[in-house]
Amino acid sequence: MKFIKNHLMFILPLMAILLGIEFYLVFDRTTDSYEKGLKEGYTMLVVTKKPVTLQKLKQLNPHIATLEAIKREQIVSEVAQGVSKQSKKEILAALPYFYNVGLDSYLGTSALEKIKKDLEKDSNIKRVETFGSSYSSAYRLFAFIKFLLKVFIGFMGIVSLFLIIKQMEIWKYAHRERMQVMEIFGAPLMLRAGVLFKVAIFDAFIATLLTSAVFLYVKFVWAAQSGIDLMMQKQDDLFKMTDMAILLGVALLLVIVAVYTVVFSSKGVQE
Amino acid sequence: MSNVISAKNLTLAYDNGRKEIIKNASFNIKKGDFVFITGPSGSGKSTLLKSLYGQLKPKEGNLVVGGRDLANISSRQLQELRTHMGIIFQDYKLINEWTVAKNVVLPLMIAGYSLDVQETQAHRLLKHVKLSEHADKYPLELSGGEQQRVGVARALAKNPVVILADEPTGNLDDYSSNVIWDLMENACQQLETTVLVVTHKIPTIFSLPYRHFIIESKGVYEVH
Repeated sequence: MKFIKNHLMFILPLMAILLGIEFYLVFDRTTDSYEKGLKEGYTMLVVTKKPVTLQKLKQLNPHIATLEAIKREQIVSEVAQGVSKQSKKEILAALPYFYNVGLDSYLGTSALEKIKKDLEKDSNIKRVETFGSSYSSAYRLFAFIKFLLKVFIGFMGIVSLFLIIKQMEIWKYAHRERMQVMEIFGAPLMLRAGVLFKVAIFDAFIATLLTSAVFLYVKFVWAAQSGIDLMMQKQDDLFKMTDMAILLGVALLLVIVAVYTVVFSSKGVQE
Repeated sequence: MSNVISAKNLTLAYDNGRKEIIKNASFNIKKGDFVFITGPSGSGKSTLLKSLYGQLKPKEGNLVVGGRDLANISSRQLQELRTHMGIIFQDYKLINEWTVAKNVVLPLMIAGYSLDVQETQAHRLLKHVKLSEHADKYPLELSGGEQQRVGVARALAKNPVVILADEPTGNLDDYSSNVIWDLMENACQQLETTVLVVTHKIPTIFSLPYRHFIIESKGVYEVH
């Protein structure tokens, strides 16, 4: 019973960290296309008196990456229904040129304002519409949620790491006599700490397997039966085999750091 | 004969140097010497022994063991020095989770000997201390005398330059004590190992010539 308790005290905090990491990986994968859509789907509207080229706009502001003309005929046919052909021609002649302008990266509202000002300096450009508020609020909300998730996982990771180190100190205390005897007979640190490494690495494997099992259950059982469209569509993203390698790598790294922290923090027998 | 241990104006203290146990002690111990260190309880016998295996750094003076000055020794050098020592404790200090055979070959394991060599040596050493039939048992399955024989076998495992023993028969009956003294006499005689024994009483059955130091009033004096 004590044996199981001792291992659980190590495995559970390690699992908390691994679950956090895996949750972030899954969140990142499942929301990737949404984030891309928010970033790449954004365009500003530019209205010009005469046709304009991408090169010309890039000279005005280097963040401009794409330029797509909106068909003027289509605009006329939509706004001038039931109007004679001649009138349509006149409207078309008087109509300015409309463009969707894409940017090279996600920019804040102040940067958008600067682009707008740069473009409006050109006398050919009649108007620039950035749709800044809606663009910014949607993306910022998403970025904020992602940031909160990172903070939460990071905080949980730190607390769990302290628990892991605490448990490691208990193990070290439990094996202190053995380690002392080995030290007195001249055993190097790695040999003395061998027992801690063995136990910790064993628990790292167990924690990885349990975490993987949780996400495999979510992927193959829970998500399939959940009835939630997003879950069913993104079922493949819920757990990938490469995740297991990432989790094992992180788990091993953490336990090695924990063992080293505990072993090096002791002065040894020298007084 | 060269000195295996040499102390000059040695002062040992606990409590960050505030509590002096031994003051200005000077002595030399040569290869093959068998030395008893006696003295009243709390006089500093075990403290002196601890300093010899580097568990307590000298406060002042020089303490040279196996050519290394323990006042200025790095942890790596101390580690290396300890692999040439055999240490025997009153409370045996065996690793209870390990078999008797594994305990005996601990110094060989530390030195990186192969498992084959370890196995052969375990067999030889346990035969020497007459514990061959207990090789696969665990220390707590043995009597105190048997456990101390395991401790002696472990101390002899790597043919050490010096054996340091702290009250090795303190917890044993007369019969078991005599067996331990026999083993240590043999080690000194046959292998020319320097042996230093801290004890409250020199055994009457001892047949080998020996040197005797007394620790009294913080000083270390040789009795002639």
